[in-house]
Amino acid sequence: MRRRPGIAGLQSAAASREQYRQVGENVARIRTDLMKEQLTTFRSQLEEFARKHKNDIRKNPVFRSQFHEMCSKVGVDPLASNKGFWAELLGIGDFYYELGVQIVDICLSTRSHNGGLINLQELCDLLCQRRKGARESVSEDDCLRAISKLKVLGSGFEVISVGKKKLVRSVPTELNKDHNEILEVAQAHGYVTIEELEKRLSWSSGRAIDALETLLKEGLAMIDDGHKDGKRRYWFPCVASIFSASGFDGFKP
Amino acid sequence: MAVNWLPPVSLTASGRPVFVPGEVERCLLPAVDLEPGENPSLSPLLSGLLVLTSHRLLWIDETSSSGFALPFAAVVHAYPPKKSIRSMFASPRIRIQVSASPDGRVVAGGTRSEMITVVLRGKNDPDVFYGRLLEVLRSRQWEVSVEAEKRDLESVSAGTSTTTAAARVRMPVVGVSGILRKEQELWESTDKSLQEAFQDLNALMSKAKEMVQLAEKMRLKLLSGPSAQGNPNEEEMGSKQDMQDWLLSVGIASPVTKESAGALYHQQLARELADFVKLPLEKAGGMIALIDVYCLYNRARGTALISPEDLLQACTLWEKFDVSVMLRKFDSGVMVIQNKAQRDEEVFARIVSLAQKPEALRTGISPSDAALTLGIAPALAKEQLLTAESIGLVCRDVSPDGFRFYINLFREIDTNDIYLIKKPGPFHAWLSAISLSG
Repeated sequence: MRRRPGIAGLQSAAASREQYRQVGENVARIRTDLMKEQLTTFRSQLEEFARKHKNDIRKNPVFRSQFHEMCSKVGVDPLASNKGFWAELLGIGDFYYELGVQIVDICLSTRSHNGGLINLQELCDLLCQRRKGARESVSEDDCLRAISKLKVLGSGFEVISVGKKKLVRSVPTELNKDHNEILEVAQAHGYVTIEELEKRLSWSSGRAIDALETLLKEGLAMIDDGHKDGKRRYWFPCVASIFSASGFDGFKP
Repeated sequence: MAVNWLPPVSLTASGRPVFVPGEVERCLLPAVDLEPGENPSLSPLLSGLLVLTSHRLLWIDETSSSGFALPFAAVVHAYPPKKSIRSMFASPRIRIQVSASPDGRVVAGGTRSEMITVVLRGKNDPDVFYGRLLEVLRSRQWEVSVEAEKRDLESVSAGTSTTTAAARVRMPVVGVSGILRKEQELWESTDKSLQEAFQDLNALMSKAKEMVQLAEKMRLKLLSGPSAQGNPNEEEMGSKQDMQDWLLSVGIASPVTKESAGALYHQQLARELADFVKLPLEKAGGMIALIDVYCLYNRARGTALISPEDLLQACTLWEKFDVSVMLRKFDSGVMVIQNKAQRDEEVFARIVSLAQKPEALRTGISPSDAALTLGIAPALAKEQLLTAESIGLVCRDVSPDGFRFYINLFREIDTNDIYLIKKPGPFHAWLSAISLSG
């Protein structure tokens, strides 16, 4: 590229600059090409895996939860988006998103009874009843994953642990430590009385009444004044086991 | 202005193309030019979004919200991208031969023949696009749509009869031992396949780990922001877009930075959602909770559902586009979608006027009263009342009946002369209202 005089020289200088720029572009392009190559290899490996084991993931909840654990260890989220490879090739996205829709539905229909807090076991039972026609079985782990995905939408969907049980919250009400302790005590019989709280947790009566009134206001507790001894009982449908056993037919779709 | 040489395509209010029945979207490519052939009076279409569907090739200009369609019925032949030394440095070009009318417009069955060049300026893979284009042309979906429906109905009825026949054949099983044997076989086969499955899973995960490490480097690059050279090169933007798409497909959360607009998928989803959500919004009175939209949209979709994170990402992208809906987060964490037209001031004005009615001055308004007046769900009405309280328009009263809200009279009290009652004013109206009740 020797320098030439005149217009021809200017043109050739411009042309050589252009060529240098394009070579630089190509170097950048090679890096992205490498990235693309990695991506295609990964995708073909995933396709191979899906071809052999798609059914296993669908049918076997244990394998499914194992799969999820390994994904989270590695740092990928197979349920992050419907557009990702995981959803596209393994088809597990639809399963969880549909589950999410059904869970929201069930929580909404039981809200008038339990105020927005439902026992995880009860939720799973109602889900299984609803999904009798579907081929895939749903485990508790699946419910937990679907709910953790729903959390990002606001509206307070969360799983909280109270004693040994897990409760699913579907309203934005915050429960503080006092409320949690009341729910723990309520697990024994399904109800609490003020004396019981004062005795077990050594609270003042004012504190117990305050917490119970809040739970009442939020719709999580129900009053029962009909007992012979005249003491007021506060029932908690979310921890009471009366609903989960026999077929509670009120919520069939 | 040169003659429009392609028929226009109608767009929805949010910029998504309106599809004909049976049309399916196959491929999306950003930054594409369409250049007409040798005719100098036709102007080229520069830098738009190319949408490959089963019936047409759509070119959409997002800035001016206009679009043109190239019907496949007019396409004669598509030439593959040339692979020469020269073409390595230039943007890949795919040439399509179409039939045209004498004045240059592209129509099916025209007399003349024109050559249209599709220039892929973004970082798109021309071979993949060309492959899809050929597939679509070969399948000739636009011709077979009506016949296919008829044929589908026939095949469905035939299919059901064959399956029932097969089931009937399998029914006679050889006694209890036969059943037990089958159970045993099934159990063994699942066991074996499970072991194999776990091995494969391990191998897959090790590969995924490599991808994650690579992704970390990419993520740092994304977060570092635009380069110091200050060159507004589209290359930089294009590669960032690619990285977002890439991270999304592997399943790694990627940051939606202010400059980049997130993955292409989310952009299109955002537009689709803006169209979809209009009707439910009207029914719900202008405000609807995000979780309700998630259920409604997924139910409407049927298959290929979206994840909650997809929904959230798409909604956050609305502020970049010019759509008539917005996402709003209340202090309690509840997220709603509301009409941009429904300004907060208007809602608060209605709440204030409701709170100043004589009955309301005496007993206050509850969230359900507000819900009736505003026409929105009670939970959302409560959120609005709480927001009104936080800016000082109303005051709350907590009683055994629940929450009630009263008009804020404290602002009317002049601290220098606290007994002064300005008439007319809310304070005066309140006094006359409560004195009536005795």
